[in-house]
Amino acid sequence: MTQAVVASSTIVGVDAIAVEVQVDVSAGLPAFTIVGLGDAAVLEARDRVRAAMRASGYDFPNARVTVNLAPAPVRKHGTGFDLPIALGVLVATGQVPRSAGDAIAVGELALDGGVRPVPGLLAHAIAADRTGRPLLLSANALPTVSAVAGLSARPLTTLSALRQGLPDPGHTALADVNARADGPDLSEVHGQPAAKRALEIAAAGGLGVLFLGPPGAGKTMLARRLPGILPPLTPAEAIESAVVHSVAGLDVEPLLAGERPFRAPHHTASTAGLVGGGSPPRPGEASLAHNGVLFLDEVPEFSPAALQALRQPLEDGYLTLVRAEGRVRYPARFALVAAMNPCPCGFLGDLVRSCTCPPAAVDRYSARIGGPLMDRIDMTLRVDRIDPGSLLRPGQEESSQVVRERVCLARERARERECGAPAAAGAALLRACALDAVARRAVERAARVHRLSGRGVTRLLRVARTIADLGRVDRVSEEHVLEASCYRALS
Amino acid sequence: MSPDNHFVLRPGDGAYPPQLELTPRPPRVLYGFGDPAALRPGLAIIGSRKATPYGLDCAAAFARCATEAGVSIISGAAMGCDLAAHRATLEAGGTTVAVLGCGADIDYPARARETLAVLRAGRGAVVSEFEWGMPPARGHFPARNRIIAGLASAVLVVEAALPSGTFSTADHALEAGRDVLAVPGSVFFHGSAGCNRLIRQGAAPICCVEDLLDSLAGAGLIAPSQRPAAGSATGVTPLAPESSDPVLRALLAHPTSPGALATALDVDAGAIMCAIARLEADGLVARYPDGRYGPCSPR
Repeated sequence: MTQAVVASSTIVGVDAIAVEVQVDVSAGLPAFTIVGLGDAAVLEARDRVRAAMRASGYDFPNARVTVNLAPAPVRKHGTGFDLPIALGVLVATGQVPRSAGDAIAVGELALDGGVRPVPGLLAHAIAADRTGRPLLLSANALPTVSAVAGLSARPLTTLSALRQGLPDPGHTALADVNARADGPDLSEVHGQPAAKRALEIAAAGGLGVLFLGPPGAGKTMLARRLPGILPPLTPAEAIESAVVHSVAGLDVEPLLAGERPFRAPHHTASTAGLVGGGSPPRPGEASLAHNGVLFLDEVPEFSPAALQALRQPLEDGYLTLVRAEGRVRYPARFALVAAMNPCPCGFLGDLVRSCTCPPAAVDRYSARIGGPLMDRIDMTLRVDRIDPGSLLRPGQEESSQVVRERVCLARERARERECGAPAAAGAALLRACALDAVARRAVERAARVHRLSGRGVTRLLRVARTIADLGRVDRVSEEHVLEASCYRALS
Repeated sequence: MSPDNHFVLRPGDGAYPPQLELTPRPPRVLYGFGDPAALRPGLAIIGSRKATPYGLDCAAAFARCATEAGVSIISGAAMGCDLAAHRATLEAGGTTVAVLGCGADIDYPARARETLAVLRAGRGAVVSEFEWGMPPARGHFPARNRIIAGLASAVLVVEAALPSGTFSTADHALEAGRDVLAVPGSVFFHGSAGCNRLIRQGAAPICCVEDLLDSLAGAGLIAPSQRPAAGSATGVTPLAPESSDPVLRALLAHPTSPGALATALDVDAGAIMCAIARLEADGLVARYPDGRYGPCSPR
């Protein structure tokens, strides 16, 4: 009777938790069983492991092979256990050196013995780094895990290479943050000065924006350019966001290069698609937009349940999915950009085409985005279709980089003033604004004329504070308050 | 609603409005609530249901003006301009009549419930040629418009697109030989095309308080000797301030989004927003439900 133990891990939420793969090879009728609450993909490992071992020139033991995935009560998903199971069998039968089993192994096997990457490798890498043990993984996944600085990654191309023991540590150069791919640039947008200004304020203050306008006004085009005027991701933020993308099986390299994620779910998205869900739980669009931009186009068309589910991420910056098998937490802190037509047909207020909606339908339409979402929209702005002639005229539009520099300066000012505690509301916000008498009167007047609620006044001050930061001014003046009042919510 | 102040009038009854009886197709029965004496000749103020603040403010301002000159206001209780006219009349302490396209006991549109309740209680009247309890139907409204025109001595159209129900009321008014008055609107805005067309076809343009008072006198609603002086007793301030501010001039000329205005005037967007907000706080312009800014009456 021979036994071997190989370390591996499985994904729960965006974390990899340690799993011990115990292999027992003993005399008896030949059999291959896997126990420990694996799903169908885990159980299918038997056939992949057997074929991959034979193809790599190893012998599959003609004996009773039992694999246990411990801790046994935790459900395990996916194909990442192929490699540790094969490794365990090889170590137990003495076909590879015992040292080969020292690493944490995560990988899927092809029938020819090739090693393939699995989703969530970045999370596995972080967990391995925390334990200080090397990570044995597919050589193709090396760029993904290169962002985890302390990790000793051991790239493996095929199972046969394990005969020489654990492979040597592999390295790929970290993607250069400055060489980030050029996303869409603000200079490509002609005209729309007010919308650009609103985007700049939103970027500087981390505020939510709602663009209102007829179809073809350029609402989507503007929203796509918000990530480009936000400061690049810091390495810590990049890893946080990349882990979510890695778990979802998406490309992480742009994120690791500092590019902020931009997610634009279609309005038919289900609640699970928007905030995460399913079995095994997968992150939703809100989490994929973590540290980036979540763009909700045609926001009144989203299902009310899906919008309601955004309440928790909007308030707390993360999402908790509670399931019978436990709870999962996904990060979800994003800049919100919403867009909508002013009425169901879209042409209310358009100069050329007339609106065909009954008046009551217009009211019902805008009432569909209620509650938590409206509370997180700090700025609302009308965007018009622009004269096609001006598209052809060469203009001198500011590039994203110029705007981004101003945004970074404004953020820097806010950070210095707030010393780590963001002045989001109440007395702290009032103190941060340092209103003079004229500005105070302007706030009171705006509140009275526009019938602002307490929340409305808070939003007004927050926007005004950001405008002052962009203007590199310490005190919020009357002009800042007046401009901010133009962005108030539609009543 | 009190059930005891309802009335049913037929041509030939003493209380049946004589001016209505003389129209080409007078209703055979007039069901109503409230005060039958309110059915005296008055000024009809009608306009689009999809009114802009400009239309709503015109309806309210001219309703106030006519009320203070002692003229009752007739309208259709529809959303938008109609309701604005009813409400402004009640606020100014006047008498107003709502003509419905459903049974006179039905609250339609629901938005008008409170206003209709006040009228039924005796501050005016709610009338209809349809049976009690008849639900509203598409075909009822042109018939309703004919009664509005029939009860009034003059019909003021404050905002109308082309074609529209409001425009059809103006046709009924001409058929019944009533004066048609219209408030001109922007030539760029299709929502004003109906009014502008009426003026082209010969309706009296109403551009200020004086114009309205002249027309009311012309329609025999106020005696020339009793004509109140504009600006004093009427309570209607001049409809727009004179200004050389390019932002105000542009917005009064026609509703614009801040971005389009910044482009047109070639001014920095932040400065434009600031200027608009200042005008808005002063009550000179207002933000429309579609997000554009445009003219409104002084508060």
